[in-house]
Amino acid sequence: MLNQFLLVTLFIIIIAILASFIRMIKGPTLWDRILMLNLISAKVVLFITVYAIYSNSVILLDIAISYGVIGFLTMTLLSKFIMTGSDEK
Amino acid sequence: MIYVTYIAIVLSWVFIIFGMIAIFRLKNLYARILAATTIDTIAILFVIIGLLFVAGSFGFVIRLLILLLFLLITNPISSHVNIRSAYLMGIPVNTKEKKK
Repeated sequence: MLNQFLLVTLFIIIIAILASFIRMIKGPTLWDRILMLNLISAKVVLFITVYAIYSNSVILLDIAISYGVIGFLTMTLLSKFIMTGSDEK
Repeated sequence: MIYVTYIAIVLSWVFIIFGMIAIFRLKNLYARILAATTIDTIAILFVIIGLLFVAGSFGFVIRLLILLLFLLITNPISSHVNIRSAYLMGIPVNTKEKKK
């Protein structure tokens, strides 16, 4: 019973990632695309977490934590780079 | 105890689907950013709370708690940095006032 719930959760997360990707291609402004990058990163972390419980392996949770750190750094540095340009030392 | 997991996971489905609807329906940039990041944070919270009740050993529980704490801190910071960047670059907040 629990495994079917987790499989449906994985399916919904995949559909959400695809919808975010479509919106990232369509997005009118640059900040829409950065926002969708953030959402896709959070959804991928969620996907890895649910799959770690589904396949009962602890190592995937460590991968999820490091992926969350990398996604946060990407998002923050891209926003700062767009705001200040490449002139900042 | 396992019914807590079922309820939390079904609530997270509802929040993820509402977040996807909000991305495509809202017209304003700031409304889109607010709705998307808030709903996404709540979905992450519900999924991890649901998974905490079926985690097998201590290793699962401590890693899930670290992940939950990290995501709850950094997800609003990311949206704040994004909104600040858009506001300082001159995107109008209220689009109806600009047309008048």
